[in-house]
Amino acid sequence: MSLSRRSMVGLGVLGASVAVTGGVVLMRDNPAVRGILGDVTALRGYAGGEKMAFIQNPKTIDALKRFGLALDAERAGSVEMSRDPQLLATKPQFLWPSSSPLVELARRYSKILKDQVIFNSPIVIYSWTPFADGLVRAGLAKKSGAHYFIVDAKGLIEAVLARKAWKDLGAQDLYGTIRMISTDPNKSNSGFMFAGLAANLLVGDVVSESNLQTVLPTVVELFRGMGYKPDSSGKVFDDYIASGPGASPLVVGYENQLVEWIIADPDRWQRVVSAGGPAQPVAMYPTPTVYSAHPLLAIDPAANRLIDALTSPELQSIGWRDHGFRGPIGSIGADTDPLIRGRMPTQISAVSPMPDIDTMLKILQALA
Amino acid sequence: MMKRWALLAAAALLLAGCGGGTSKFHIVAGSEEKTFEPIVKQFCEDQGVECTIDYKGSLDIGLMLAGGEAPDVDAVWPASSLWLDMYDTHRRVKDLKSVASSPVILGVRMSKARTLGWIGRPVKMDDILKAVNDGQLAFLMTSATQSNSGASAYLTMLAAAFGTPDRLDPRALDDPAAQAKVKALLKGVSRGSGSSGWLAELYLAGAKAGHPYDAMWNYEAVLKETNDSLRQNGGELLYAVYPADGVSYADAPLGYVDHGQDKSAKDFFDKLQQHMLSAEIQQKIADLGRRTALGMAKPAPAEKDWNFDPARLIPSIALPEPKVIARALTLYQEALRKPSLTALCLDFSGSMSGDGETQLKAAINTLFNPAQASQNLIQWTPADRILILPFDSHVRTVVQGDGSVASQERLNQAVAAEEADDGTDMYDCAERALKEMKPYLDTNQYLPAIVIMTDGKSDAHEGFDDAWRAEGHFVPIFGVTFGDADATDLDALAELTRSRVFDGRANLTEAFRSVRGYN
Repeated sequence: MSLSRRSMVGLGVLGASVAVTGGVVLMRDNPAVRGILGDVTALRGYAGGEKMAFIQNPKTIDALKRFGLALDAERAGSVEMSRDPQLLATKPQFLWPSSSPLVELARRYSKILKDQVIFNSPIVIYSWTPFADGLVRAGLAKKSGAHYFIVDAKGLIEAVLARKAWKDLGAQDLYGTIRMISTDPNKSNSGFMFAGLAANLLVGDVVSESNLQTVLPTVVELFRGMGYKPDSSGKVFDDYIASGPGASPLVVGYENQLVEWIIADPDRWQRVVSAGGPAQPVAMYPTPTVYSAHPLLAIDPAANRLIDALTSPELQSIGWRDHGFRGPIGSIGADTDPLIRGRMPTQISAVSPMPDIDTMLKILQALA
Repeated sequence: MMKRWALLAAAALLLAGCGGGTSKFHIVAGSEEKTFEPIVKQFCEDQGVECTIDYKGSLDIGLMLAGGEAPDVDAVWPASSLWLDMYDTHRRVKDLKSVASSPVILGVRMSKARTLGWIGRPVKMDDILKAVNDGQLAFLMTSATQSNSGASAYLTMLAAAFGTPDRLDPRALDDPAAQAKVKALLKGVSRGSGSSGWLAELYLAGAKAGHPYDAMWNYEAVLKETNDSLRQNGGELLYAVYPADGVSYADAPLGYVDHGQDKSAKDFFDKLQQHMLSAEIQQKIADLGRRTALGMAKPAPAEKDWNFDPARLIPSIALPEPKVIARALTLYQEALRKPSLTALCLDFSGSMSGDGETQLKAAINTLFNPAQASQNLIQWTPADRILILPFDSHVRTVVQGDGSVASQERLNQAVAAEEADDGTDMYDCAERALKEMKPYLDTNQYLPAIVIMTDGKSDAHEGFDDAWRAEGHFVPIFGVTFGDADATDLDALAELTRSRVFDGRANLTEAFRSVRGYN
C-alpha cells in the first residue's frame, strides 16, 4: 500500500466542531485556528483500517477531547506499520495494530514505551444461512445462539483443501465446491491471523518453528486455492456484502465487522431481516479461534495518556456499543444494541494463542 | 468561547469562498453502465455540476490509468475491479465501491436452446463445447483482451477446461489439453466486439434484419435489457444459461481518480457515490436487473419464460492474481482466440495527398508494430490472415499476408510505397475484398472484417448491398473516417453489415486500434 493511497483521518476535534470537513487541513495549518484547540494534544500515528470507523466516530472524538486528546491516525496495515522503514521514518507517536504477535515485531524496529490491549475481536468465518445450515447437516457446525454458529474450522479447512462439493457434505441443495477467502496475510491482519489459526488447527496445537514444516505446505495450498486475495479486511467484508452468497460463500473476518455494519444503518438491516430468503449473513465461530487484539503501542511518552483514555469505561463503551469491539479481556460491554442481540456469544469459550512472531514470519514468507 | 466560534465561522466562510464548487466533472465508464446515465445526469443537474460521461472498454480504462501521467478524469466506473487490480499500479483510484453486480452468462435464442435440450436443466461448459464442436452453436462474445464480459467468459472457459471450474488455477495456462479445449470453444465466436453494450445492439440488429444470432455472452442484466427490447419488437427471446460450473461477476466499482484537481471534485464524488448507493437509487438499479448489495434493494422479479432470476444463487469462480490474469489475456490474444481475417481498404485518392497520407502511413506502421500492438493487446499472430487493398477509383493492388513479424513488415512496406492520387471508390474495394477473402471465409475458421478508411465521398456504386447479401457470410464492414469525410456512405454500410464507424479525424491510429478490438 503506497503512502498516497492512505486517507488522512483524525484531526477529529476540528472535524466535529466545524461542519466544513473540507477545510480541516487548511484550518489546521492556520496557527490562529490551532490555538482554538486549547490544551488538546493531537497525537499522530498509525492504526489498522478496521478501527477507522471507531476513530472517526464523533462520540469517540468528543470523549477523547475530554481527556485533552485528539487522534491524528493514518490508516496502515498492521504488519507494515510494525516494520516498514518508510512508515517508521515519519516518527509516529503511537502504533495501533490489530494483533498481539506484532508487538514483538514492532519492538524490533521501534522503542516501545508501553503496550496495552485496548480491544479484542475474535476471528470468525462469515457465511450465509444456507451454507451454515449445510455445514450443520454435514456435522461441521452447530447452531449456538439465535443467529450464530460454532464451526469445526479444521474440518472445514480440510473440506476446502479436498475441494469437496457442498453436495458431498450432504447439502444437496447447494451448488459448487466449498470455497473460502481471506485477505492477503502479508498485507492485512485478518489474513495474517487466519494463517496462524489454520496452522494451529492443522497441527492440533499452537504451531511453533519445530513443527511448522509438517503443516506449512498444507497452509500454502489453502491460501493458494483462494486465488486473488484483497489487501484489506474492510475490502473483503465489503465484497462479502456487495457480492452475496454466490460469489462470497465463506469469508474470514473479525467479529466486530458485521456488528458495526448492522449498527451503522439500522434501516438497511431492517430490509435484510424483512426480506427473508437466502441472503441472511451469519457469523461462524471457529473452535478454538484466535483473538485479534488491538494493542496500542506508545512510542512517544505523550501517547501513554492515550492508553489511559482508551481503556476508560467511556471509550470502551463506545467501542462495544457502536463498533462491536470486545474489551481487553474479551468480554462484551454492558449496553448492547438490540439489533445485534443473539448474534454473538458473551464469552468466547476456546481461544488459542497465536504462534510466536518468528513462526508467523516463516509462514508469511512461505505465503509471499 | 464566543471568540472561538467567531473564528471558526470566519474560517468556514473563507473555505466556502475558495472552494467555489465544481462546475465540471468527468466520468469514464464501461459501456454497460450507460443504462444508468439518466440517473447520474439527473443528480449532476440537481447539484449544478456539468458531468461528462465517456464510455470506454475495460482495457482502455486500465491503460488510461497505467500511463505515466494521471488522466484528466475525475471518476472511473469500469465493469469490474479486475481491470483496476491489473492496471492501476499507481493506485490513482480511491474510495472504490461496487454499485451493483451482474454475472456474465450465455443467452441462447429460445428455439436453439430448446433444440439443444438446455431448457430447464443445468448446462456445463462441456455441453457448450459439444454444441460448438457439433456445429450446433455459434455465439457473440466481446474480445477478452478489450472488454470485461469477454474476459469473464474466457476465464470461466479456461477454468472449466482445466477441470477446476470453481477457480482458475494458474497451471491451466500451461496445460495443452485445457488450451485445446478453450481454442475449440472460441471457434464458436461468430462476431466479436470491443464493448458489451455494443454487442447487445449487434444482437438486436441481427434479430431485426431477420438473421438472429444463436447466442451471446453478456451480463445477466444486459440480457434482460436485450430481451426487453426483443419483447417489444416481437423477437425471439434469449434463454439465460447460467453455466453450472461457475460464473464471473462484474462488480461495477465507482472510484475517484486523484489527479491533483480541486478538492470540491472529491466532495462531489462522495455525494455522487452516496447517491448511487442510496436505498432509492439502488432500488431503481435493481429494477433494471442488476444485483445489489445485501440489504440495499429487492431484486427484480424472476422472469421464468427465459430463466432470468437475479435472486438465484450462482457460484462464482475464484480468479488468480492480476499478473496471472494478464498472462491469460496474452495467451488469448496470441494463441487461443479465433484467428482474424482482416481486409484493409486504404484510401489513396488524390485528396489524401500530404498530411493525410503521412498520418495513414503512421497509423498502419503502428498497427503492424508488434511491440506497440502488444501493449494494447491487439497483436497479430501467424494464424491471422491480412489483406491490404490500397484504392482510389479502383483497387490498385491486393497484398496478402499473415500476422507473422516478417509478413507484418512486408505489409507495412507495401503501404509505405503507395502515393495518393486519383478518385475514390470504396465500394469497388469492398467488393474486391469480399472476393479475395472468399477461400478463407468458406473454411469458417476466421473472424472476418473489412475495414474501409476513407477521407472523401465515394463514387456511387449500384448493387453493392445485394452483392454483399448474396455473398452469404455477412462480413462486417467497419468504417474509419478521415479528413472531411462524408460519413453517410460508411454509416449506411455499417448499418447494412451490422458494424461501426470510427472517427479517425482526431486520431487515426486510435481509430484503427479500436477497430481491431472488434475483429
